[in-house]
Amino acid sequence: MLIITRRPGEKIMVGDDVVVEVIEVSGSSVRIGIAAPKSIPVYREEIWEAVKAENQAAAAVEVDELPDDLPTPTRKR
Amino acid sequence: MHGVTHHNEGDDARMDVTLQSSRFGEITVSPDAIIDFPSGLIGLGGHRFALLARSEESAFAWLHSLDDPELAIPVTDPWRFFDDYEIEISDEEADRIGVTDPQDTSVYVTVRAAAALEDFSANLRAPILVVGGTGHQVINQVPDAPVRAPMFTGLQETPTKAA
Repeated sequence: MLIITRRPGEKIMVGDDVVVEVIEVSGSSVRIGIAAPKSIPVYREEIWEAVKAENQAAAAVEVDELPDDLPTPTRKR
Repeated sequence: MHGVTHHNEGDDARMDVTLQSSRFGEITVSPDAIIDFPSGLIGLGGHRFALLARSEESAFAWLHSLDDPELAIPVTDPWRFFDDYEIEISDEEADRIGVTDPQDTSVYVTVRAAAALEDFSANLRAPILVVGGTGHQVINQVPDAPVRAPMFTGLQETPTKAA
């Protein structure tokens, strides 16, 4: 992994199009700004990981027939 | 199985796509049912998908990859199960994926299916927005939107509210 020391206001280029800027350092928190082309989504890693795992689990399910006639949970009796 | 049609103007020249689905055998999808996912599904990739359902009224559909015959995910209309579901995305994200009017946007959530209805859950954290034949799975900014929301809790006893 490339490790670079930067101060608030300084930036890092990832390729020609992605800019990562250190906005503010406060205690153990770092605020980071990221400017990327529309084709590149940016995620917090732990959320990306959770959604990836859920997508994989949903795709791996062995059920081939999804229920068609469903009891409606919100139905009022 | 029929592909649910999504209108995609100006692309009539595209050909039907036929693939050997590992789940459903041979399926053919007409060009106007193809949904392009420029960034794929989060962590899974895939760039062209189609919605397969028994009928327009089906509660569930399969979002099937047209590039990977083994990749299909059950999806549903979240408001069918979660009356008060809300999605919030930043203006930058809306601009990035081309959402200008929620009325023009179709919304789906992925479903983790199971043998028993009680074990079905939906991912309210990462809905799929489809606009003009293009789909994006986005991160819902509503705090604590669950990745696994049980879909059939209404079938169980209504919990009594604590005094």
